[in-house]
Amino acid sequence: MHKNKKCTKFAKNIKRIGMEKLDGKYDFSLYEYHNLLQQNILVSYKGPIDERIMNVIGDNIELVTNDGNDKAKSKIFKIFMELAQNVWLYSAESCKTASGRKLGMGTLVIGEFGDSYTFVTGNVVRNSDIEPVIEKCEIINSLDRDSLREYRREQRRLGGDKKNSGNIGLIQVALTAESPLDIELTPVSDDESFFSVAVKIKKTVN
Amino acid sequence: MEDIHISGFKDCYIQPTVDFVESTGECAISGESFMEETAKFYWPLVEWVKEYGKKHNKIVFTFSLTYYNTSTSKWLLAILKELREMENEGGEVTVIWHYTPDDTDMNDDIMDYMVDTGLHINMVPFDEP
Repeated sequence: MHKNKKCTKFAKNIKRIGMEKLDGKYDFSLYEYHNLLQQNILVSYKGPIDERIMNVIGDNIELVTNDGNDKAKSKIFKIFMELAQNVWLYSAESCKTASGRKLGMGTLVIGEFGDSYTFVTGNVVRNSDIEPVIEKCEIINSLDRDSLREYRREQRRLGGDKKNSGNIGLIQVALTAESPLDIELTPVSDDESFFSVAVKIKKTVN
Repeated sequence: MEDIHISGFKDCYIQPTVDFVESTGECAISGESFMEETAKFYWPLVEWVKEYGKKHNKIVFTFSLTYYNTSTSKWLLAILKELREMENEGGEVTVIWHYTPDDTDMNDDIMDYMVDTGLHINMVPFDEP
């Protein structure tokens, strides 16, 4: 309450207290960054991803997707779990915990646009690793629901190696979202690209 | 061979509750399943069912999972394949799968498991006994 009162008095100009500019401080305005996210973005995270982060965000998604019916909320949760896990396990950018576990780094964003939620994840990938994934995504987007289920069964029968898991995850995401995968690959260097997957989920799913 | 009792928890990662009882042939996996190394968790369970099938000819297996990731889904298939194997050998196998009726994704998934294994799965809504 106290803070709010002060705010009206200070609102006209940006006040900066302390050094002119902190050494090493990001040269963008955090306020502008916040405002950018304020438009249609419900949740955003960038950094290392592991099961703890996934649990916290996964649980909290429900709190911000108020317009969604129960079915939509459950779909968002499932899609979040699959896509976030892909970033965690397959990102080319990673860090290591004290115990030596590798945590993939990436960005997760949940937005709200009209009658839909949009879920986007992105991470750096090696070009050599991503080619087969892009091919799989093209197959996924060309299939109808029944064919997608058949494709999932086929992939599931192949068994449990880690390389293959991500692909089933993407099939599952397309099935759950009931919409195609929106894939974007932006080159960042000769061997690496930024890979992002976006899906749309209707707020009121029948 | 010993019974397996694992308590589910949802702390750092999500592990389902497992109850496999050799003396009664009643086995259940319930809760939510999402973990980094599904193989580490599920491999012993698949082995248990395989071993059980060699010694006994009756089993009632109940799945009550509200959420499982795709990596888990491969291992559920492995368990169902062992159950099918037991049935092929003349065993009496009952599979019960609790589901949420309006969750079409899960319904489709259970149907696909039936197609894949040839096992009959009794689908029972979560709120029914």
